[in-house]
Amino acid sequence: MPLFNLSNVSKPKETNYDVAIIGAGPGGLASAIYAGRAGLKTIVFEKSTEGGQILLTDMIEDYPGFVSISGNALAENFLNHAKTFGANFTNEEIIEADLVSKIKRLKTDLGNEYTAKTVVIATGSNPRKLGVPGEEEFMNRGVSYCAVCDGSFFKDKRVVVIGGGDSAVEEGLYMTKIAKEVTLIHRRDKLRAQKIAQERAFKSKMKFILDSVVTEIGGSKSVEYVMIRNLKTNEMTKYPTDGVFIYVGLIPNTQIFKDQVKTDENGFILTDEHMETNLEGVYAVGDVRKTPLRQIVTAASDGAIAVIDMTKYFD
Amino acid sequence: MAALLSEEDRKYLVDLFEKELKGEVKILFFGSKRKEECEYCDLTEQILQELAETNNKITIETHDFDETDLVKKYNIEMVPAILMLDSEGNDMRIRYYGIPSGYEFSSLIEDVIATSKKGEVDLSASTVKKLEEIKSPLKLQVFVTPTCPYCPRAVLMAHKLAMKSPNIIGEMIEANEFPDLSMQYNVSSVPHIIINEGEGEFVGALPEDAFVEQIMSVVKGV
Ligand SMILES: Cc1cc2nc3c(=O)[nH]c(=O)nc-3n(C[C@H](O)[C@H](O)[C@H](O)COP(=O)(O)OP(=O)(O)OC[C@H]3O[C@@H](n4cnc5c(N)ncnc54)[C@H](O)[C@@H]3O)c2cc1C
Repeated sequence: MPLFNLSNVSKPKETNYDVAIIGAGPGGLASAIYAGRAGLKTIVFEKSTEGGQILLTDMIEDYPGFVSISGNALAENFLNHAKTFGANFTNEEIIEADLVSKIKRLKTDLGNEYTAKTVVIATGSNPRKLGVPGEEEFMNRGVSYCAVCDGSFFKDKRVVVIGGGDSAVEEGLYMTKIAKEVTLIHRRDKLRAQKIAQERAFKSKMKFILDSVVTEIGGSKSVEYVMIRNLKTNEMTKYPTDGVFIYVGLIPNTQIFKDQVKTDENGFILTDEHMETNLEGVYAVGDVRKTPLRQIVTAASDGAIAVIDMTKYFD
Repeated sequence: MAALLSEEDRKYLVDLFEKELKGEVKILFFGSKRKEECEYCDLTEQILQELAETNNKITIETHDFDETDLVKKYNIEMVPAILMLDSEGNDMRIRYYGIPSGYEFSSLIEDVIATSKKGEVDLSASTVKKLEEIKSPLKLQVFVTPTCPYCPRAVLMAHKLAMKSPNIIGEMIEANEFPDLSMQYNVSSVPHIIINEGEGEFVGALPEDAFVEQIMSVVKGV
């Protein structure tokens, strides 16, 4: 993390574009690189900070070309790369979209309207809530979905991490550097994370409670415990903790599109092999898409495929 | 001391400010002579000095927390603190408590640009209308950490509202530097926004409409 980060500074310009890319995660930024190189007039909308979910992780070790790079540094590389080839950026959230018409219309939270001939939906995903009592109540009292954002509040405290995938294990490992005690709770008997991350976790001070689910988050002023049910024995345990980090899957950010674009039952957008949706000139890339793998490398790859296909509308 | 800004970032800022700055911007920095009371004062002052060197429209005025008159005038509550005045000396009603490092450095830059335009900011017509209903003082405290990518959005929203409404003060608070205050408000997940010292609160970088709704519900007492 550079001590002083400038990636967020950007200014809007005109309102008519060839390509509008919604979301500046790796999928959107890779699309912007290809669109810029194809000579298309491109704008990228980002509601928070360019980089997307890669900013939520400390180190990345599986993006080709970088044995180990911080999420922050990789995001900055992606962003600078896209800017080099001429993409425009604006910090606005798309809140309404007309994707059916030939000329697509996008409305932002600042009340601005933009048009584009083609659209790339690269809005990614958000953490799925666990959906247990106490989660909402303690949302700002010890429950978190972002270890790099909130980890420092748990210095020398006890935390539990819920989930068994890559994010849970990686972020749990990150928390072992900060917290006094880290316990990972997973509903299956084995972790799902990549082997190398699992091995590191087993060697670290992390404790594991497997075959178990959290059924409640409780406390008075802030989180004090979680209730854990063992799925094999049905035994209930009250487990003391100061923090709960939840990594139990993803919800695609497709709410504002799903009346127009076809999705699966979980809201992930359906595309053909060129990433085009059921609507002409509307593409979906990365985590929002129904895809077997949600990673940086696949989001970037989707972006490349989408934009190369899209050039057919500009010949 | 070695420069904090990389040569690349410095050049970027020189270009950006050359294009974007309209009028003068005076940045008031409040630090403390008692270093043990202010771990990040030196670093904060240095980054501001380096910022000022990128464009001659930006000036920095350094003050100490002991200067009670000024501290009172601007209602400075703790240090390091930063505020901005436009070319006519108008207080933009934005405050930074703690160092604006990491992602918050972008917020500082956006604020410098807005201040150079005398607080001209991009807000929707419906927000501007709602702000007119705010007739009594309103304080927005946005607790952040420098590593939180969602936080600048909340900080900038609070700052934009402050620039637009004469009754609003918008503060950024670096939660790690002020643990007691963070504890008082139970901050454990950022951005965490406190309205009028606890009359209202919410967590997360909400879109403009929803952010303003949260404030209006406190204003209207519902
Ligand atoms: C903790 C964690 C660790 C991870 N570690 C790794 C790893 O080590 N290696 C790896 O390959 N992958 C990792 N991933 C997965 C990877 O981050 C994602 O697969 C990837 O970021 C998906 O890219 P994307 O562009 O599809 O979406 P995202 O990265 O989610 O980006 C979407 C962007 O769109 C913006 N947005 C959403 N809606 C709107 C709107 N309406 N208007 C404007 N902007 C909008 C969002 O703010 C966001 O910035 C990790 C994920 C997490 C959560």
